[in-house]
Amino acid sequence: MTLQNCLILTLFLFAIGVYGVLTRRHLIGILLSIEIILNAANINFIAFARFTTADPTAGAIFPVFVMAVSACEMAVALAIIISMYRHRKNLDVRELEALHG
Amino acid sequence: MNSLLLPDLFILLQGFTVLGIDLFSRKREPVVTFQLTWSGLLFNFILLLCLPYDRTVVFFGTYQVSGLALLFKQIFVISAFFTVLLSRYYFTEKGNFRGPMRAMGEFYGIVLFCTFGMFTVVSATGLLTLFIGMELATIPLYVLSAFRKGDDLSAEASTKFIVMGALSTGILLFGYSFIYGAVGSLRFVNILAFATQYPLHPLLFLGLLFIFAAIGFKLTLFPFHMWAPDVYEGAPTPVTAFISVSSKATAIAFLIVLLYGPLAPLHPRLQYLILLLAGATMTVGNLGALKQKNLCRFMAYSSIAQAGYILLALAGQAEMGRASIIYYLLIYAAANYATFFIISIVSQKRTEEFASLRGLGKQSPTLAAILLLSMFSLAGIPPLAGFIGKFMLFASAAQEGYYFMVIFAALNSTVSLYYYLLLIKEAYILQPTAGPMVFEVSFVQQSSLAILTVFMILLGLVPMISTKILLIVQ
Repeated sequence: MTLQNCLILTLFLFAIGVYGVLTRRHLIGILLSIEIILNAANINFIAFARFTTADPTAGAIFPVFVMAVSACEMAVALAIIISMYRHRKNLDVRELEALHG
Repeated sequence: MNSLLLPDLFILLQGFTVLGIDLFSRKREPVVTFQLTWSGLLFNFILLLCLPYDRTVVFFGTYQVSGLALLFKQIFVISAFFTVLLSRYYFTEKGNFRGPMRAMGEFYGIVLFCTFGMFTVVSATGLLTLFIGMELATIPLYVLSAFRKGDDLSAEASTKFIVMGALSTGILLFGYSFIYGAVGSLRFVNILAFATQYPLHPLLFLGLLFIFAAIGFKLTLFPFHMWAPDVYEGAPTPVTAFISVSSKATAIAFLIVLLYGPLAPLHPRLQYLILLLAGATMTVGNLGALKQKNLCRFMAYSSIAQAGYILLALAGQAEMGRASIIYYLLIYAAANYATFFIISIVSQKRTEEFASLRGLGKQSPTLAAILLLSMFSLAGIPPLAGFIGKFMLFASAAQEGYYFMVIFAALNSTVSLYYYLLLIKEAYILQPTAGPMVFEVSFVQQSSLAILTVFMILLGLVPMISTKILLIVQ
Protein backbone atom coordinates (compact mmCIF):
# COMPACT_ATOMS: atom_id res chain seq x y z
CA MET A 1 0.00 0.00 0.00
CA THR A 2 1.67 3.18 -1.15
CA LEU A 3 0.55 6.76 -1.63
CA GLN A 4 0.52 6.21 -5.36
CA ASN A 5 -1.96 3.33 -5.08
CA CYS A 6 -4.27 5.43 -2.95
CA LEU A 7 -4.14 8.35 -5.36
CA ILE A 8 -4.89 6.12 -8.34
CA LEU A 9 -7.85 4.68 -6.44
CA THR A 10 -9.22 8.11 -5.56
CA LEU A 11 -8.80 9.39 -9.11
CA PHE A 12 -10.75 6.38 -10.35
CA LEU A 13 -13.45 6.97 -7.75
CA PHE A 14 -13.62 10.64 -8.72
CA ALA A 15 -13.91 9.75 -12.40
CA ILE A 16 -16.62 7.19 -11.66
CA GLY A 17 -18.50 9.80 -9.63
CA VAL A 18 -18.34 12.46 -12.33
CA TYR A 19 -19.31 9.92 -14.99
CA GLY A 20 -22.25 8.89 -12.82
CA VAL A 21 -23.44 12.46 -12.33
CA LEU A 22 -23.30 13.07 -16.06
CA THR A 23 -24.95 9.87 -17.25
CA ARG A 24 -27.36 8.77 -14.50
CA ARG A 25 -30.97 9.59 -15.22
CA HIS A 26 -32.36 8.92 -11.76
CA LEU A 27 -31.89 11.66 -9.16
CA ILE A 28 -31.01 9.18 -6.40
CA GLY A 29 -28.36 7.70 -8.67
CA ILE A 30 -26.87 11.18 -9.13
CA LEU A 31 -26.76 11.70 -5.36
CA LEU A 32 -24.98 8.36 -4.94
CA SER A 33 -22.41 9.42 -7.54
CA ILE A 34 -21.82 12.66 -5.64
CA GLU A 35 -21.26 10.63 -2.46
CA ILE A 36 -18.60 8.66 -4.34
CA ILE A 37 -16.82 11.92 -5.22
CA LEU A 38 -16.94 13.07 -1.59
CA ASN A 39 -15.53 9.77 -0.41
CA ALA A 40 -12.75 9.94 -2.99
CA ALA A 41 -11.74 13.26 -1.43
CA ASN A 42 -11.92 11.68 2.03
CA ILE A 43 -9.61 8.82 1.03
CA ASN A 44 -7.27 11.40 -0.45
CA PHE A 45 -7.07 13.23 2.87
CA ILE A 46 -6.46 10.05 4.81
CA ALA A 47 -3.82 8.86 2.35
CA PHE A 48 -1.91 12.15 2.50
CA ALA A 49 -2.19 12.20 6.29
CA ARG A 50 -0.89 8.63 6.51
CA PHE A 51 2.01 8.84 4.07
CA THR A 52 3.39 12.31 3.66
CA THR A 53 2.64 15.04 6.11
CA ALA A 54 4.05 16.58 9.20
CA ASP A 55 0.62 17.26 10.68
CA PRO A 56 -1.41 14.05 10.25
CA THR A 57 -4.19 14.93 12.72
CA ALA A 58 -5.62 17.68 10.51
CA GLY A 59 -5.94 15.33 7.57
CA ALA A 60 -7.49 12.64 9.71
CA ILE A 61 -10.05 15.00 11.25
CA PHE A 62 -11.11 16.63 7.98
CA PRO A 63 -13.03 13.56 6.69
CA VAL A 64 -15.06 13.47 9.90
CA PHE A 65 -16.22 17.02 9.23
CA VAL A 66 -16.85 16.16 5.59
CA MET A 67 -19.04 13.22 6.60
CA ALA A 68 -21.09 15.35 8.99
CA VAL A 69 -21.55 18.15 6.48
CA SER A 70 -22.34 15.85 3.58
CA ALA A 71 -24.92 14.08 5.76
CA CYS A 72 -26.64 17.47 6.22
CA GLU A 73 -26.40 18.16 2.52
CA MET A 74 -27.87 14.77 1.62
CA ALA A 75 -30.69 15.22 4.14
CA VAL A 76 -31.64 18.48 2.45
CA ALA A 77 -31.23 16.90 -0.98
CA LEU A 78 -33.50 13.99 -0.11
CA ALA A 79 -36.13 16.36 1.30
CA ILE A 80 -36.05 18.38 -1.90
CA ILE A 81 -36.23 15.24 -4.01
CA ILE A 82 -39.26 14.03 -2.06
CA SER A 83 -41.04 17.33 -2.69
CA MET A 84 -40.03 16.99 -6.34
CA TYR A 85 -41.55 13.50 -6.44
CA ARG A 86 -44.82 14.78 -4.97
CA HIS A 87 -45.16 17.15 -7.90
CA ARG A 88 -43.97 15.04 -10.77
CA LYS A 89 -44.38 11.39 -9.65
CA ASN A 90 -41.14 10.82 -11.48
CA LEU A 91 -37.45 11.33 -10.72
CA ASP A 92 -36.00 11.15 -14.21
CA VAL A 93 -33.72 14.17 -14.72
CA ARG A 94 -34.56 14.35 -18.41
CA GLU A 95 -38.10 15.28 -17.43
CA LEU A 96 -36.84 18.32 -15.50
CA GLU A 97 -37.46 20.81 -18.24
CA ALA A 98 -40.23 23.11 -17.08
CA LEU A 99 -37.51 25.73 -16.63
CA HIS A 100 -35.51 26.28 -19.80
CA GLY A 101 -34.55 28.89 -22.37
CA MET B 1 -13.62 38.77 24.96
CA ASN B 2 -12.92 41.11 22.14
CA SER B 3 -15.64 43.27 20.63
CA LEU B 4 -14.69 42.20 17.10
CA LEU B 5 -16.52 38.90 17.55
CA LEU B 6 -19.78 40.59 18.58
CA PRO B 7 -21.48 40.76 15.12
CA ASP B 8 -20.97 37.04 14.56
CA LEU B 9 -22.24 36.08 18.00
CA PHE B 10 -25.13 38.47 17.68
CA ILE B 11 -26.34 37.10 14.35
CA LEU B 12 -26.11 33.54 15.65
CA LEU B 13 -28.09 34.43 18.76
CA GLN B 14 -30.60 36.27 16.62
CA GLY B 15 -31.05 33.23 14.38
CA PHE B 16 -31.78 30.97 17.34
CA THR B 17 -34.14 33.54 18.88
CA VAL B 18 -36.13 33.92 15.68
CA LEU B 19 -36.40 30.16 15.21
CA GLY B 20 -37.32 29.71 18.89
CA ILE B 21 -40.08 32.33 18.71
CA ASP B 22 -41.40 30.68 15.57
CA LEU B 23 -41.39 27.30 17.32
CA PHE B 24 -43.16 28.35 20.52
CA SER B 25 -45.44 31.05 19.16
CA ARG B 26 -49.17 30.32 19.08
CA LYS B 27 -49.65 32.18 15.82
CA ARG B 28 -49.01 30.40 12.55
CA GLU B 29 -47.09 33.27 11.00
CA PRO B 30 -45.61 35.34 13.86
CA VAL B 31 -44.96 38.82 12.44
CA VAL B 32 -42.72 39.56 15.42
CA THR B 33 -40.02 37.39 13.77
CA PHE B 34 -39.96 39.84 10.88
CA GLN B 35 -39.61 42.82 13.21
CA LEU B 36 -36.87 41.08 15.18
CA THR B 37 -34.94 40.07 12.07
CA TRP B 38 -34.84 43.40 10.32
CA SER B 39 -34.19 45.44 13.45
CA GLY B 40 -31.49 42.99 14.53
CA LEU B 41 -29.78 43.17 11.16
CA LEU B 42 -29.93 46.96 11.25
CA PHE B 43 -28.42 46.93 14.73
CA ASN B 44 -25.74 44.53 13.50
CA PHE B 45 -24.89 46.88 10.65
CA ILE B 46 -24.51 49.83 13.01
CA LEU B 47 -22.38 47.63 15.26
CA LEU B 48 -20.19 46.75 12.28
CA LEU B 49 -19.73 50.45 11.47
CA CYS B 50 -18.60 51.16 15.03
CA LEU B 51 -15.91 48.47 15.22
CA PRO B 52 -12.22 49.28 14.67
CA TYR B 53 -11.08 48.40 11.14
CA ASP B 54 -7.34 48.61 11.62
CA ARG B 55 -6.87 45.52 13.75
CA THR B 56 -6.57 41.82 13.00
CA VAL B 57 -7.48 39.49 15.81
CA VAL B 58 -7.40 35.70 15.72
CA PHE B 59 -9.78 33.84 18.00
CA PHE B 60 -8.88 30.32 19.16
CA GLY B 61 -6.43 30.04 16.26
CA THR B 62 -9.20 29.36 13.76
CA TYR B 63 -11.36 32.46 13.45
CA GLN B 64 -9.84 35.71 12.28
CA VAL B 65 -11.47 39.13 12.13
CA SER B 66 -9.77 41.84 10.07
CA GLY B 67 -10.86 45.07 8.38
CA LEU B 68 -11.41 43.20 5.13
CA ALA B 69 -13.63 40.64 6.85
CA LEU B 70 -15.66 43.42 8.49
CA LEU B 71 -16.22 45.13 5.13
CA PHE B 72 -17.50 41.88 3.64
CA LYS B 73 -19.70 41.38 6.70
CA GLN B 74 -21.24 44.78 6.02
CA ILE B 75 -22.18 43.63 2.53
CA PHE B 76 -23.67 40.38 3.83
CA VAL B 77 -25.68 42.16 6.51
CA ILE B 78 -27.02 44.76 4.06
CA SER B 79 -27.96 42.00 1.64
CA ALA B 80 -29.74 39.96 4.30
CA PHE B 81 -31.52 43.11 5.54
CA PHE B 82 -32.99 43.90 2.14
CA THR B 83 -33.86 40.27 1.49
CA VAL B 84 -35.87 40.28 4.70
CA LEU B 85 -37.65 43.50 3.74
CA LEU B 86 -38.26 42.24 0.21
CA SER B 87 -39.71 38.95 1.41
CA ARG B 88 -42.18 40.48 3.87
CA TYR B 89 -44.85 41.13 1.28
CA TYR B 90 -44.49 37.66 -0.22
CA PHE B 91 -45.92 36.18 2.98
CA THR B 92 -49.21 38.04 2.55
CA GLU B 93 -52.21 36.92 0.53
CA LYS B 94 -51.91 39.58 -2.19
CA GLY B 95 -48.13 39.55 -2.21
CA ASN B 96 -47.41 37.70 -5.43
CA PHE B 97 -49.09 36.13 -8.43
CA ARG B 98 -47.70 32.73 -7.42
CA GLY B 99 -49.63 32.87 -4.14
CA PRO B 100 -48.45 33.52 -0.58
CA MET B 101 -45.37 31.89 0.90
CA ARG B 102 -45.64 30.09 4.25
CA ALA B 103 -43.46 29.63 7.36
CA MET B 104 -42.18 33.17 7.79
CA GLY B 105 -40.21 32.52 10.99
CA GLU B 106 -38.27 29.64 9.45
CA PHE B 107 -37.47 31.73 6.38
CA TYR B 108 -35.90 34.49 8.46
CA GLY B 109 -34.08 32.01 10.69
CA ILE B 110 -32.55 30.33 7.65
CA VAL B 111 -31.51 33.68 6.14
CA LEU B 112 -29.76 34.57 9.41
CA PHE B 113 -27.90 31.25 9.66
CA CYS B 114 -26.91 31.53 6.03
CA THR B 115 -25.47 34.98 6.71
CA PHE B 116 -23.53 33.56 9.65
CA GLY B 117 -22.03 30.99 7.27
CA MET B 118 -20.91 33.82 5.00
CA PHE B 119 -19.33 35.54 8.02
CA THR B 120 -17.37 32.34 8.63
CA VAL B 121 -16.04 32.25 5.06
CA VAL B 122 -14.42 35.67 5.38
CA SER B 123 -13.08 34.90 8.87
CA ALA B 124 -11.40 31.60 8.04
CA THR B 125 -7.76 30.98 8.90
CA GLY B 126 -7.61 27.46 7.54
CA LEU B 127 -9.11 25.23 4.89
CA LEU B 128 -11.33 23.49 7.47
CA THR B 129 -13.02 26.71 8.62
CA LEU B 130 -13.30 27.80 5.01
CA PHE B 131 -15.01 24.54 4.06
CA ILE B 132 -17.45 24.64 6.97
CA GLY B 133 -18.24 28.30 6.27
CA MET B 134 -18.87 27.65 2.59
CA GLU B 135 -21.25 24.80 3.41
CA LEU B 136 -23.02 26.83 6.10
CA ALA B 137 -23.52 29.53 3.50
CA THR B 138 -24.80 27.27 0.70
CA ILE B 139 -26.92 24.54 2.30
CA PRO B 140 -29.50 27.10 3.59
CA LEU B 141 -29.75 28.48 0.05
CA TYR B 142 -30.96 25.08 -1.22
CA VAL B 143 -33.67 25.11 1.43
CA LEU B 144 -34.63 28.70 0.63
CA SER B 145 -34.91 28.03 -3.10
CA ALA B 146 -37.35 25.19 -2.34
CA PHE B 147 -39.42 27.43 -0.06
CA ARG B 148 -42.57 27.37 -2.16
CA LYS B 149 -43.43 23.81 -1.30
CA GLY B 150 -46.57 23.73 -3.41
CA ASP B 151 -44.90 25.18 -6.46
CA ASP B 152 -43.69 22.91 -9.22
CA LEU B 153 -41.05 25.35 -10.53
CA SER B 154 -39.59 26.00 -7.08
CA ALA B 155 -39.10 22.25 -6.57
CA GLU B 156 -37.42 21.87 -9.93
CA ALA B 157 -35.17 24.88 -9.37
CA SER B 158 -34.02 23.65 -5.98
CA THR B 159 -33.39 20.15 -7.36
CA LYS B 160 -31.13 21.56 -10.06
CA PHE B 161 -29.46 23.83 -7.52
CA ILE B 162 -28.66 21.13 -4.99
CA VAL B 163 -27.37 18.62 -7.53
CA MET B 164 -25.00 21.23 -8.96
CA GLY B 165 -24.09 22.55 -5.51
CA ALA B 166 -23.33 19.14 -4.05
CA LEU B 167 -21.21 18.25 -7.08
CA SER B 168 -19.24 21.48 -6.66
CA THR B 169 -18.72 20.68 -2.97
CA GLY B 170 -17.21 17.34 -3.96
CA ILE B 171 -14.88 18.98 -6.47
CA LEU B 172 -13.92 21.65 -3.91
CA LEU B 173 -12.99 18.99 -1.37
CA PHE B 174 -10.92 17.15 -3.94
CA GLY B 175 -9.02 20.38 -4.56
CA TYR B 176 -8.48 20.95 -0.82
CA SER B 177 -7.11 17.44 -0.44
CA PHE B 178 -4.36 18.11 -3.00
CA ILE B 179 -3.38 21.34 -1.31
CA TYR B 180 -3.27 19.50 1.99
CA GLY B 181 -1.21 16.79 0.33
CA ALA B 182 1.32 19.30 -0.93
CA VAL B 183 1.59 21.42 2.20
CA GLY B 184 0.85 18.91 4.91
CA SER B 185 -1.25 21.37 6.86
CA LEU B 186 -4.63 23.03 6.60
CA ARG B 187 -3.61 26.35 8.14
CA PHE B 188 -3.24 29.38 5.89
CA VAL B 189 0.04 30.41 7.56
CA ASN B 190 1.68 27.11 6.64
CA ILE B 191 0.18 27.12 3.14
CA LEU B 192 1.54 30.64 2.56
CA ALA B 193 5.00 29.62 3.78
CA PHE B 194 4.98 26.56 1.52
CA ALA B 195 3.69 28.44 -1.53
CA THR B 196 6.34 31.14 -1.10
CA GLN B 197 9.02 28.47 -1.03
CA TYR B 198 7.70 26.29 -3.88
CA PRO B 199 5.40 28.45 -6.02
CA LEU B 200 5.56 25.94 -8.88
CA HIS B 201 4.57 22.83 -6.93
CA PRO B 202 2.28 20.79 -9.27
CA LEU B 203 -0.04 19.59 -6.49
CA LEU B 204 -0.84 23.20 -5.54
CA PHE B 205 -1.85 23.96 -9.13
CA LEU B 206 -3.89 20.77 -9.39
CA GLY B 207 -5.71 21.68 -6.18
CA LEU B 208 -6.27 25.22 -7.33
CA LEU B 209 -7.69 24.01 -10.64
CA PHE B 210 -10.30 21.92 -8.82
CA ILE B 211 -11.06 24.83 -6.48
CA PHE B 212 -11.58 27.17 -9.43
CA ALA B 213 -13.94 24.68 -11.06
CA ALA B 214 -15.91 24.33 -7.83
CA ILE B 215 -16.14 28.03 -7.08
CA GLY B 216 -17.07 28.57 -10.72
CA PHE B 217 -20.40 26.94 -9.90
CA LYS B 218 -21.06 29.32 -7.02
CA LEU B 219 -19.86 32.42 -8.85
CA THR B 220 -21.57 31.31 -12.12
CA LEU B 221 -18.37 31.46 -14.16
CA PHE B 222 -18.57 30.54 -17.83
CA PRO B 223 -18.55 26.77 -18.22
CA PHE B 224 -20.40 26.26 -14.94
CA HIS B 225 -23.12 28.91 -15.19
CA MET B 226 -25.91 26.76 -16.70
CA TRP B 227 -27.83 26.24 -13.48
CA ALA B 228 -28.20 29.93 -12.67
CA PRO B 229 -31.02 31.01 -15.02
CA ASP B 230 -33.18 28.03 -14.11
CA VAL B 231 -32.67 28.49 -10.38
CA TYR B 232 -33.21 32.26 -10.55
CA GLU B 233 -36.47 31.78 -12.42
CA GLY B 234 -37.86 28.96 -10.29
CA ALA B 235 -36.85 30.09 -6.80
CA PRO B 236 -39.05 32.57 -4.91
CA THR B 237 -38.04 36.10 -5.96
CA PRO B 238 -36.62 37.28 -2.57
CA VAL B 239 -34.45 34.17 -2.58
CA THR B 240 -33.35 34.96 -6.14
CA ALA B 241 -32.25 38.39 -4.96
CA PHE B 242 -30.43 36.86 -2.00
CA ILE B 243 -28.65 34.30 -4.21
CA SER B 244 -27.69 36.91 -6.78
CA VAL B 245 -26.06 39.20 -4.22
CA SER B 246 -25.05 37.29 -1.09
CA SER B 247 -24.07 34.00 -2.67
CA LYS B 248 -22.03 35.78 -5.32
CA ALA B 249 -20.37 37.98 -2.71
CA THR B 250 -19.47 34.87 -0.68
CA ALA B 251 -17.92 33.16 -3.68
CA ILE B 252 -15.83 36.20 -4.59
CA ALA B 253 -14.87 36.66 -0.92
CA PHE B 254 -13.73 33.04 -0.93
CA LEU B 255 -11.49 33.71 -3.96
CA ILE B 256 -10.14 36.91 -2.38
CA VAL B 257 -9.35 35.08 0.86
CA LEU B 258 -7.47 32.36 -1.01
CA LEU B 259 -5.79 34.22 -3.87
CA TYR B 260 -4.62 37.26 -1.93
CA GLY B 261 -3.97 35.23 1.20
CA PRO B 262 -2.26 31.83 1.37
CA LEU B 263 -1.98 31.30 -2.39
CA ALA B 264 -0.72 34.82 -3.18
CA PRO B 265 2.64 33.55 -4.54
CA LEU B 266 0.71 31.70 -7.26
CA HIS B 267 -1.33 34.75 -8.22
CA PRO B 268 0.98 36.08 -11.01
CA ARG B 269 0.71 32.72 -12.80
CA LEU B 270 -3.08 32.65 -12.48
CA GLN B 271 -3.75 36.05 -14.02
CA TYR B 272 -4.26 34.69 -17.53
CA LEU B 273 -6.67 32.03 -16.27
CA ILE B 274 -8.63 34.70 -14.39
CA LEU B 275 -8.74 37.01 -17.42
CA LEU B 276 -9.85 34.18 -19.68
CA LEU B 277 -12.64 33.14 -17.30
CA ALA B 278 -13.71 36.76 -16.80
CA GLY B 279 -13.84 37.49 -20.53
CA ALA B 280 -15.77 34.32 -21.36
CA THR B 281 -18.18 34.83 -18.46
CA MET B 282 -19.11 38.40 -19.32
CA THR B 283 -19.58 37.54 -22.99
CA VAL B 284 -21.79 34.54 -22.27
CA GLY B 285 -23.83 36.50 -19.73
CA ASN B 286 -24.34 39.44 -22.07
CA LEU B 287 -25.23 37.33 -25.09
CA GLY B 288 -27.58 35.20 -23.00
CA ALA B 289 -29.41 38.23 -21.62
CA LEU B 290 -30.21 39.58 -25.09
CA LYS B 291 -33.00 37.14 -25.85
CA GLN B 292 -34.66 36.83 -22.44
CA LYS B 293 -38.33 37.53 -21.81
CA ASN B 294 -38.59 36.57 -18.13
CA LEU B 295 -37.40 39.20 -15.66
CA CYS B 296 -35.75 36.80 -13.18
CA ARG B 297 -34.03 34.87 -15.95
CA PHE B 298 -32.87 38.20 -17.35
CA MET B 299 -31.45 39.16 -13.95
CA ALA B 300 -29.64 35.80 -13.87
CA TYR B 301 -27.81 36.49 -17.12
CA SER B 302 -27.17 40.07 -16.05
CA SER B 303 -25.60 38.80 -12.82
CA ILE B 304 -23.48 36.29 -14.78
CA ALA B 305 -22.10 39.20 -16.79
CA GLN B 306 -21.52 41.20 -13.59
CA ALA B 307 -19.62 38.22 -12.15
CA GLY B 308 -17.35 38.47 -15.19
CA TYR B 309 -16.61 42.15 -14.54
CA ILE B 310 -15.96 41.47 -10.86
CA LEU B 311 -13.61 38.60 -11.65
CA LEU B 312 -11.65 40.89 -13.97
CA ALA B 313 -10.54 42.96 -10.98
CA LEU B 314 -9.14 39.84 -9.35
CA ALA B 315 -6.33 39.89 -11.91
CA GLY B 316 -5.01 43.08 -10.32
CA GLN B 317 -2.86 43.62 -7.26
CA ALA B 318 -4.19 42.86 -3.79
CA GLU B 319 -5.11 46.35 -2.54
CA MET B 320 -6.78 47.63 -5.68
CA GLY B 321 -8.43 44.28 -6.40
CA ARG B 322 -9.94 43.96 -2.94
CA ALA B 323 -11.03 47.60 -2.69
CA SER B 324 -12.65 47.73 -6.13
CA ILE B 325 -14.45 44.41 -5.63
CA ILE B 326 -15.89 45.39 -2.25
CA TYR B 327 -16.96 48.79 -3.55
CA TYR B 328 -18.55 47.27 -6.63
CA LEU B 329 -20.36 44.64 -4.57
CA LEU B 330 -22.01 47.41 -2.53
CA ILE B 331 -23.15 49.19 -5.71
CA TYR B 332 -24.24 45.95 -7.34
CA ALA B 333 -26.24 45.03 -4.23
CA ALA B 334 -28.04 48.38 -4.21
CA ALA B 335 -28.95 48.28 -7.91
CA ASN B 336 -29.94 44.61 -7.83
CA TYR B 337 -32.17 44.97 -4.78
CA ALA B 338 -33.85 48.05 -6.24
CA THR B 339 -34.62 46.09 -9.41
CA PHE B 340 -35.93 43.12 -7.46
CA PHE B 341 -38.16 45.39 -5.35
CA ILE B 342 -39.68 46.74 -8.55
CA ILE B 343 -40.08 43.23 -9.96
CA SER B 344 -41.82 42.22 -6.73
CA ILE B 345 -44.20 45.19 -6.94
CA VAL B 346 -45.00 44.62 -10.60
CA SER B 347 -45.52 40.88 -10.18
CA GLN B 348 -48.19 41.20 -7.49
CA LYS B 349 -50.86 40.40 -10.03
CA ARG B 350 -49.00 39.89 -13.28
CA THR B 351 -46.35 37.35 -14.23
CA GLU B 352 -42.64 38.17 -14.11
CA GLU B 353 -42.42 38.84 -17.84
CA PHE B 354 -40.95 41.88 -19.58
CA ALA B 355 -44.41 42.75 -20.85
CA SER B 356 -45.67 43.18 -17.28
CA LEU B 357 -43.62 46.36 -17.02
CA ARG B 358 -45.61 48.06 -19.77
CA GLY B 359 -47.33 51.23 -18.67
CA LEU B 360 -45.19 51.60 -15.54
CA GLY B 361 -43.84 54.96 -16.74
CA LYS B 362 -47.35 56.45 -16.99
CA GLN B 363 -48.91 54.83 -14.01
CA SER B 364 -46.12 55.25 -11.50
CA PRO B 365 -43.37 57.61 -12.69
CA THR B 366 -41.40 57.22 -9.45
CA LEU B 367 -41.10 53.46 -9.75
CA ALA B 368 -40.16 53.75 -13.41
CA ALA B 369 -37.53 56.35 -12.55
CA ILE B 370 -36.01 54.08 -9.91
CA LEU B 371 -35.97 51.23 -12.43
CA LEU B 372 -34.21 53.55 -14.87
CA LEU B 373 -31.64 54.53 -12.25
CA SER B 374 -30.87 50.97 -11.25
CA MET B 375 -30.59 49.80 -14.86
CA PHE B 376 -28.21 52.68 -15.63
CA SER B 377 -26.25 51.89 -12.51
CA LEU B 378 -25.92 48.22 -13.54
CA ALA B 379 -24.88 49.26 -17.04
CA GLY B 380 -22.42 51.85 -15.72
CA ILE B 381 -23.67 55.23 -16.96
CA PRO B 382 -21.46 58.08 -15.63
CA PRO B 383 -23.18 60.06 -12.90
CA LEU B 384 -24.32 56.90 -11.13
CA ALA B 385 -22.48 54.63 -8.75
CA GLY B 386 -22.19 51.81 -11.27
CA PHE B 387 -19.83 53.84 -13.44
CA ILE B 388 -17.33 54.57 -10.68
CA GLY B 389 -17.53 50.95 -9.54
CA LYS B 390 -16.86 49.57 -13.01
CA PHE B 391 -14.12 52.14 -13.54
CA MET B 392 -12.34 50.89 -10.43
CA LEU B 393 -12.77 47.24 -11.44
CA PHE B 394 -11.27 47.90 -14.85
CA ALA B 395 -8.55 50.10 -13.36
CA SER B 396 -7.48 47.18 -11.20
CA ALA B 397 -6.88 45.06 -14.32
CA ALA B 398 -5.37 48.01 -16.21
CA GLN B 399 -2.75 48.57 -13.52
CA GLU B 400 -1.32 45.19 -14.43
CA GLY B 401 -1.18 46.22 -18.08
CA TYR B 402 -4.03 44.13 -19.44
CA TYR B 403 -5.41 46.92 -21.62
CA PHE B 404 -6.77 44.50 -24.20
CA MET B 405 -9.03 42.89 -21.60
CA VAL B 406 -10.16 46.28 -20.34
CA ILE B 407 -11.19 47.31 -23.85
CA PHE B 408 -12.95 43.98 -24.28
CA ALA B 409 -14.83 44.49 -21.01
CA ALA B 410 -15.79 48.04 -21.98
CA LEU B 411 -17.20 46.77 -25.29
CA ASN B 412 -19.06 44.10 -23.36
CA SER B 413 -20.67 46.66 -21.12
CA THR B 414 -21.87 48.49 -24.22
CA VAL B 415 -23.70 45.33 -25.23
CA SER B 416 -25.16 45.18 -21.74
CA LEU B 417 -26.43 48.75 -22.08
CA TYR B 418 -28.59 47.55 -25.00
CA TYR B 419 -30.48 44.96 -22.98
CA TYR B 420 -30.79 47.14 -19.90
CA LEU B 421 -32.38 49.74 -22.18
CA LEU B 422 -34.82 47.09 -23.46
CA LEU B 423 -36.26 47.01 -19.95
CA ILE B 424 -36.55 50.79 -19.90
CA LYS B 425 -38.28 50.64 -23.28
CA GLU B 426 -40.89 48.26 -21.87
CA ALA B 427 -41.49 50.55 -18.92
CA TYR B 428 -41.65 53.87 -20.77
CA ILE B 429 -42.38 53.49 -24.47
CA LEU B 430 -44.40 50.38 -25.28
CA GLN B 431 -48.16 50.68 -24.88
CA PRO B 432 -49.79 48.30 -22.38
CA THR B 433 -51.85 45.54 -23.97
CA ALA B 434 -53.79 44.68 -20.82
CA GLY B 435 -55.60 47.20 -18.63
CA PRO B 436 -53.88 49.34 -16.00
CA MET B 437 -51.73 47.61 -13.44
CA VAL B 438 -53.08 46.73 -10.05
CA PHE B 439 -50.50 46.99 -7.32
CA GLU B 440 -50.01 48.36 -3.85
CA VAL B 441 -46.72 49.77 -2.64
CA SER B 442 -46.47 49.10 1.06
CA PHE B 443 -44.58 51.35 3.46
CA VAL B 444 -41.76 48.80 3.76
CA GLN B 445 -41.29 48.76 0.00
CA GLN B 446 -41.44 52.55 -0.28
CA SER B 447 -38.84 53.13 2.40
CA SER B 448 -36.50 50.39 1.12
CA LEU B 449 -36.69 51.77 -2.40
CA ALA B 450 -35.95 55.25 -1.05
CA ILE B 451 -32.89 54.00 0.86
CA LEU B 452 -31.62 52.05 -2.14
CA THR B 453 -32.05 55.00 -4.50
CA VAL B 454 -30.16 57.33 -2.18
CA PHE B 455 -27.50 54.66 -1.88
CA MET B 456 -27.17 54.28 -5.67
CA ILE B 457 -26.71 58.01 -6.19
CA LEU B 458 -24.59 58.75 -3.12
CA LEU B 459 -22.11 55.91 -3.62
CA GLY B 460 -21.27 57.41 -6.99
CA LEU B 461 -21.10 61.05 -5.92
CA VAL B 462 -19.29 60.73 -2.62
CA PRO B 463 -15.73 59.59 -3.36
CA MET B 464 -15.02 59.39 0.37
CA ILE B 465 -16.50 55.91 0.63
CA SER B 466 -14.27 54.29 -1.96
CA THR B 467 -11.19 56.01 -0.55
CA LYS B 468 -12.06 54.74 2.88
CA ILE B 469 -12.45 51.17 1.62
CA LEU B 470 -9.08 51.44 -0.11
CA LEU B 471 -7.50 52.65 3.13
CA ILE B 472 -8.99 49.80 5.14
CA VAL B 473 -7.89 46.97 2.88
CA GLN B 474 -4.31 48.17 2.57
